[in-house]
Amino acid sequence: MMRMDTSSPAVFVNAEILKMYLGRRVRAVIQVMRNDAGVIVGQSTDGNQITVKGAQAFPPAHFVEVIGIADGSQSIRAEICTDFGESFDMTAYNGLCQLANGKFKNLFL
Amino acid sequence: MAAVDLTRGAIAAISEGRVKDGVKPVVQVWEVKLVNTQQSTTERYRMLLSDGAHMQQAMLATQMNGLVKLGTLQKHSIVRLDEFICNVIQNRRIIIIINLEVLVSNSNAIGEPKLYDNGSASQNRVPSPAQSTSADQPVIAAENPQNYGGIHSSTPNIVQNVTRGPSLSPATEAVTTNSSFAGYYGNGVMSSRNTNSVPSEHPKSEQGVGRISESHPNSGYQNQRLSSPASVGAFRPPASSYGHPVQPAYQQPPPMYTNRGPIAKNEAPARIIPIAALNPYQGRWTIKARVTTKGELRRYSNPRGEGKVFSFDLLDSDGGEIRVTCFNMVADQFYDQIEVGKVYLISKGSLKPARKSFNHLNNEYEIFLESQSVIQPCSEEDNTIPRQQFNFRPVNEVEGLENNSMVDVIGIVVSINPSASITRKNGTETNKQTLQLKDMSGRSVEVTFWGNFCSTEGQQLQRMCDSGVYPVLAIKAGRVSDFSGKSIGTIGSSQLFINPDFPEAHRLKDWYNREGKNMSALSISRDTTTMSRNDVVRKTLSQIKDEGLGRSEKPDWITVKATITFVKVDNFCYTACPLMVGDRPCNKKVNNNGDGTWHCDRCDQSFPECDYRYLLQFQIQDHTGMTWVTAFQEGGEEILGVTAKELYLLKYQEQDDLKFAEIIRRVLFHQHLFKLKVKEETFSDEQRVKSTIVKAEKVNPSSESRYLLGLIEKLLTEDPIVVSGMQTFASTSGMSTVAYGMVESNNSVHSVTNNFGINNSQLGKHENEYGGNSRHVFSRNEVQAFCSSCGSTSHTFHNCPRVNVRDKVLPHQHMEVVVHQEDTTGNMSSLLLYQLLCLVAHQCRPIRNVGYSGLMMLSAHMTVYKAHLDIHSTS
Repeated sequence: MMRMDTSSPAVFVNAEILKMYLGRRVRAVIQVMRNDAGVIVGQSTDGNQITVKGAQAFPPAHFVEVIGIADGSQSIRAEICTDFGESFDMTAYNGLCQLANGKFKNLFL
Repeated sequence: MAAVDLTRGAIAAISEGRVKDGVKPVVQVWEVKLVNTQQSTTERYRMLLSDGAHMQQAMLATQMNGLVKLGTLQKHSIVRLDEFICNVIQNRRIIIIINLEVLVSNSNAIGEPKLYDNGSASQNRVPSPAQSTSADQPVIAAENPQNYGGIHSSTPNIVQNVTRGPSLSPATEAVTTNSSFAGYYGNGVMSSRNTNSVPSEHPKSEQGVGRISESHPNSGYQNQRLSSPASVGAFRPPASSYGHPVQPAYQQPPPMYTNRGPIAKNEAPARIIPIAALNPYQGRWTIKARVTTKGELRRYSNPRGEGKVFSFDLLDSDGGEIRVTCFNMVADQFYDQIEVGKVYLISKGSLKPARKSFNHLNNEYEIFLESQSVIQPCSEEDNTIPRQQFNFRPVNEVEGLENNSMVDVIGIVVSINPSASITRKNGTETNKQTLQLKDMSGRSVEVTFWGNFCSTEGQQLQRMCDSGVYPVLAIKAGRVSDFSGKSIGTIGSSQLFINPDFPEAHRLKDWYNREGKNMSALSISRDTTTMSRNDVVRKTLSQIKDEGLGRSEKPDWITVKATITFVKVDNFCYTACPLMVGDRPCNKKVNNNGDGTWHCDRCDQSFPECDYRYLLQFQIQDHTGMTWVTAFQEGGEEILGVTAKELYLLKYQEQDDLKFAEIIRRVLFHQHLFKLKVKEETFSDEQRVKSTIVKAEKVNPSSESRYLLGLIEKLLTEDPIVVSGMQTFASTSGMSTVAYGMVESNNSVHSVTNNFGINNSQLGKHENEYGGNSRHVFSRNEVQAFCSSCGSTSHTFHNCPRVNVRDKVLPHQHMEVVVHQEDTTGNMSSLLLYQLLCLVAHQCRPIRNVGYSGLMMLSAHMTVYKAHLDIHSTS
């Protein structure tokens, strides 16, 4: 198995936590609300809005995981986008975000 | 001053009941005195009436009060009695004046009247004829029914002479039914319904009444009994020893009083009384109150027919509460008018004893509205009337409450379980959800939501708890049950308030944030091991042995999350009898007759075809241990996905071993949620604890994630030690034995040990089908801390002798978690999420990166992810 690159781990974020990691590599799951040219506007797992730049279009209402650099308090410059399909447990993911940035931060970063 | 003559001998005549119909004697008011009945705000005037020669006590009907107040009727006024009755109370006569006309307001005293003596009454009486008349003829009552409000004879001998019993009753029955009397006297008996119960409603009747009643034990004297108490009630002002204020109100004109003319209704303006003062003997009343709860319009049918009913509860400014109920037409009339939270003026309802089994308000009575009842909305807000009344008890006091008593509580929701659907004894399904409520007493109690509460408040609370908020919950009218210690459950009329804006709620929240969070609360509801089978009791496999499950009289029903590691393929099914015994198939093992037919011993029959039923034995493992379990038909089918018959035929007829093996293999290493029945059984002198699978479910990543989140939260908030322990581990160990001392919550205790090392290397090799190494989260044991690496209670993980295992760490161990899912329900990513959470909960190792490699094949029906979790030791 090829070793993965773990030099800059992506932080699990939602819209709230995104703000704390500006300039860093983050990953977030959003639900696609609409697609504009090269930009996806979606809802984060905590209900707030996140904009994803440099991403291809995804079907609306799908859940998409975005890994990229946080370049704004509400936006991510996408590197990798993965379509998670039409059903996804946002609450659970949000819980994960809280834990991964809270008490268990040391496990993830 | 016009000279008005007083009717000569009027007093005597009235007292003796000799006043003929239509005669309206003129008398002089010798005295007017205001009396206040106890506990009542109504005023009554007592008077002395004189005919110049004699005087007699009298009471003025309240509708005439105005005359006195205005001064029209005063001392020495001359009046004409238009309508009156003479009654005997405690051997004294009292004239009740229902209607009079003041002929002369100001006058001089006329004559020197003497109080009309009872004794002399009997003497004055033309003895025999009158008596015999009264004795012989029931007619007396018939002729002058109105004169005698009751039996006048005050002296016992007279009474005895009169055979009132049989003769009187039919007469009186005919003349003035009890109802009209009662109605006449008003006495709070609002409608004819209650009349016959009047005697019984005066439990504290004065001796006078008692005496009279006693001397006429015969039920024939019902009339007397009726009127006497009534009159006593009416004319016994402050000395009233009734618990309730007695308000004679001359409301309904008795239909029989035709000779008196219509009695004016009392149209005095409404006087608002407190709800606490309401009673069936109350005359006119009006209450002003706010609707605190409104029930639904329910239809019912009973032997008497069909109907509809609805109820609502009222609360007034004094804190008094009462329930109001309307039936049928009345229900239709008022249902739309009543709104919760609004204030209304209500009057002309009838009061009856409250039905305690349904009505849990603090009032012995209930109001029943009729078509003539009046409900008037109050347009302006009345801030003196609270919106809701609570009587909160601290949780530690709930422990002392009686089973089935009602209670109001307020507390912090510290944990909540997902709602589950359970089947009631009668077969209907309903939802049930439990949570733990903690308050400042330091104790916590289990609260159960039933039915709709699960989908409304239950869900809301679940969401709040999942996201780490611990809300305040206030419950009004919860029922205490002695199920598993003491617990509280909702009933139809319970009300729930989440984070209400009460001072108690704020206090509670402050307390919780300051100290409550970290305080471990002792639950007054017993541990889950005694919970009913319908609750999800999560255990780990090692707990089956550790806790001695299944050893008591009744089997233990638990749920475990475990992975199938081995399936015994020999004898995976048996031949079963397909015949029906009652409504269920016999299913007993049948014997082969040798000729192709089968024989059942129980049914004692032979038949050509038998059923094939699963009797699967397999081994399941979780992170704590392993055990053998047996699955029967339903469980087997669920797990394997094929029926026993199919499998049997596949193996023995078609002999397709390859396919058979494939089916079996498919099942291995899949994680399931098993509901187990654990029971100790005796096998030829040996006691063995056997576990049977009642239900096998695939793990739903989404709900399991939530469950884990809940557990993680609980873990974190209840025991700070854990957190530091975790951190210590994370920093020192590579190998992931994580174990903590634990503090109990109501859930099961999971210990965390780790087979990681072993599995890791193996895992590396197997890329397929490993469903993931799940590691469980734990909750904590309040009482016992034990080392979760070895289960012993003598030490914690810090001192565990097994600790040295930790040092055998291989750096850069990879754990490969392959998420392989074939079904179309999606949630692949949820599965991944779930895995992550497991790892978090375990704190096994830092998770530096989560990536997706391999192919992602998206097809209409299948998505396969491979997720690699790269784990490095922190050093």
